[in-house]
Amino acid sequence: MSVTVTVNRCHVIRIACSAVLLYLLILLSACAAPEVAGPQGSVFFPPAPNPPRLQYLTMISSSADVDGKKLGGLSIIAVGDTRAEKPKPIIKPYGITVSNGKLYVCDTAPGRLIVIDPARKSFEFLKGNYSFGKLKKPISSEIDSDGNLYVADAVRKEVLVYGPSGNFLRAFGKSLGMKPVDVAIYGDYLYVLDLHNHDVKILDRKSGKHLETIGKIQDGKHLLSMPISIDSGPKGSLFISNMSSGKIVNLDRDGHLLGEFGKLGDGFGQFGRPKGLAVDDHGRIYVVDAAHQNVQIFNKDGRLLMFFGDPGLPFGSLNLPAGIAVTSQGIDLFKKYIDPAFEVEQLIFVTSQFGPAKISVYGLGKLMD
Amino acid sequence: MDEAGDEYCSESFVGINLKASCMKNLKIICRLVVCCGLILICVLSFSHTATADCITGACHQQLKSFARLHEPVGEGDCQACHEAVVSEHPLEKGQSFKLFAEGRDLCLSCHDAFDPAAGKLHPAVAEGECLVCHDPHGGSRIGLLKNADDVKMICLECHDANSFEQKFVHGPVAAGACLECHTPHQSRYEKLLLSDPKSLCLKCHAELAAGLEGATVIHAPVDDGTCSDCHETHGSSFVHLLKEDGIKMCFSCHEELADKYNKARTKHAALYKDDHCGNCHAPHFSNHASLLTTERESDLCLRCHGQDDFRRSKSLKNIRAELAANEHLHGPLVDGKCSTCHDPHGSDFFRLLVDAYPETFYAPYRKGTYAFCLDCHEENLLRFPETSIYTRFRDGKRNLHYIHVADPRKGRSCRACHRAHASNGPKLMNETGASFGNWKIPLRLVLTETGGSCSPGCHRRMSYDRKNPVTEK
Repeated sequence: MSVTVTVNRCHVIRIACSAVLLYLLILLSACAAPEVAGPQGSVFFPPAPNPPRLQYLTMISSSADVDGKKLGGLSIIAVGDTRAEKPKPIIKPYGITVSNGKLYVCDTAPGRLIVIDPARKSFEFLKGNYSFGKLKKPISSEIDSDGNLYVADAVRKEVLVYGPSGNFLRAFGKSLGMKPVDVAIYGDYLYVLDLHNHDVKILDRKSGKHLETIGKIQDGKHLLSMPISIDSGPKGSLFISNMSSGKIVNLDRDGHLLGEFGKLGDGFGQFGRPKGLAVDDHGRIYVVDAAHQNVQIFNKDGRLLMFFGDPGLPFGSLNLPAGIAVTSQGIDLFKKYIDPAFEVEQLIFVTSQFGPAKISVYGLGKLMD
Repeated sequence: MDEAGDEYCSESFVGINLKASCMKNLKIICRLVVCCGLILICVLSFSHTATADCITGACHQQLKSFARLHEPVGEGDCQACHEAVVSEHPLEKGQSFKLFAEGRDLCLSCHDAFDPAAGKLHPAVAEGECLVCHDPHGGSRIGLLKNADDVKMICLECHDANSFEQKFVHGPVAAGACLECHTPHQSRYEKLLLSDPKSLCLKCHAELAAGLEGATVIHAPVDDGTCSDCHETHGSSFVHLLKEDGIKMCFSCHEELADKYNKARTKHAALYKDDHCGNCHAPHFSNHASLLTTERESDLCLRCHGQDDFRRSKSLKNIRAELAANEHLHGPLVDGKCSTCHDPHGSDFFRLLVDAYPETFYAPYRKGTYAFCLDCHEENLLRFPETSIYTRFRDGKRNLHYIHVADPRKGRSCRACHRAHASNGPKLMNETGASFGNWKIPLRLVLTETGGSCSPGCHRRMSYDRKNPVTEK
């Protein structure tokens, strides 16, 4: 009996030692987690033999991808708690906005908004995200000409406004019974996309006063159906993606239907579940599709130009993509990723809710002559 | 006499006084030699005299008539080319002389041959037919040509005379001076030209060369040096030696304009008279875009459309006077552009407009009916009865442009309130009034910061305000 007990004790100790070793190994391997290598050679869309028009440049998944500060493999063991140096991750990004070279990323799961400034190599959480300004489920955001940040929060069912320094200012629209999922700004007006009521609420962007609702019904036809993303075109008209109808609807700021394109389906120019939408300076419309897991680009008349980001690629694929932002500013900051033979005209940022690449960065352009 | 001579005499004339007889024989031999020499001289003299007789004798008198003799002929050296085959000359039948060689080979015995690698040869040269152009005995002062006064006549022995007999012929062609442009034997250039076509043309057309030097816009064929794209080089049925009638010539390249010219519902009169395209465009060069003849497009148009013409019952409107009398010009006219609105080559629309615009005072808006205005102005101006975006002529959001123009029964065209070219009012408002039959409807518009009012001949004074709607119906 005692022998048996001794044997059992030894066995237990052996198992315990093995478990500790295994834990240490796992810990060490986690500390020395391999960073995702950059692409071996440039990844272009569309694939050859078509002339390349878009290049996958890089990804941003944590503060380390912005400030370059990586966590050392032995630092935990040697120093103990180094939480201050730990890269700040992006958990489940949704809406993304770019303004004056800064990226504003809504991270839905932890309920926070990340401000990324590639020029300053800074990666910061929104300062005013506490107390009355605490975000619960930020979906999308927009910046006005004064530098104020407007965040649509789907759980608080409000639009929260933060000043240029990130401090919370006020919240709009609680009384409107809406589920805001995106915002657009034109002049003094804030256009809030209401997923619950399938319409657009026009608010005074300073007072938050509800002025008008557009996008309901025109000529007996429901214009919007589970609208999820809104952006204003070069002439100020509004482009809205609709999850249920698969349509991209173009309304003027008075709510008149100017045009629409797309439908549900799996063909070219059709959508499985359209999500984020952006319009660039040239009037090109970029639509993220969470079902097809790609982005389709259309010209101003709704004609499909190309698509990119489909699954299956070692780099440049999207994984449950949601938001998109396009800018012609700050291209030089990504110059080191751009193929020397390729000339980038627009930067495209696409969020993926899963996978290693939380923000994929692409460059739209052309091969140099 | 040496010993050998003595010996020889001794052996030849035995029994005679050998020494005396040898001396006698020597004299005879000497005499014979002298006689033979004289005979030879006589024969040679006869020959020379015979040649001289060819030119001066009764048989070959025509050789004296040439302006210039072939050098051997001049020197009386007929045997440089001819050789006697029988001593008798002339013969009643047959020939006493023949040529040393045939064709080119005879010429090349003195003249250098042409190197085929140095350029294209005149077919006559290549085939060795020198005598097609040259007379072997004599001819013109230069080149011993058969017809120096009119080289063309030599050329036309082989070349088709058709292009030389047109209504209009090129000067050198008329003068028979083919060699002003062509070299007769060999050239590096096509058609045996003396130089490249552009240089060749500009050699004489010096005024064109001078103009091209400073020109900023050059017609493509001129720039390419292919003058023959438009012009015939020898003769043409059309003035300026054009290949086709003026305007057809232009359409041979500018095909897209031919359709307009032939089918346009509204035609520009200038295109159908005088110089056709040349009424507005310079054919060779210009310092202005589209080879126009004036810097500002409007200056060109106003040459016809900028004057009173009392000779005609329905004369062109004097737009120059209209522009001068008004302070505000339509945007394109500020830049001197008329073709922004009018197509000078023809149009299917009223007044050569580039797109649809109603001809009548009443014309309710439908999609496309006002495309001409809405190509530049807000395309949604007349589309929605309510707007806060597309017009400032609204009462609140009530679109007053829509009310005036899109009224399905009595929509009024833009001319009811606006002028097309110039006005003394803002927005080209027609303060003097639009023509309504014989009446000019006064507008009487008063503007405020956020709206205004008007009291035209159409209705009582009515007001509008964008911020605080008046809501008058």
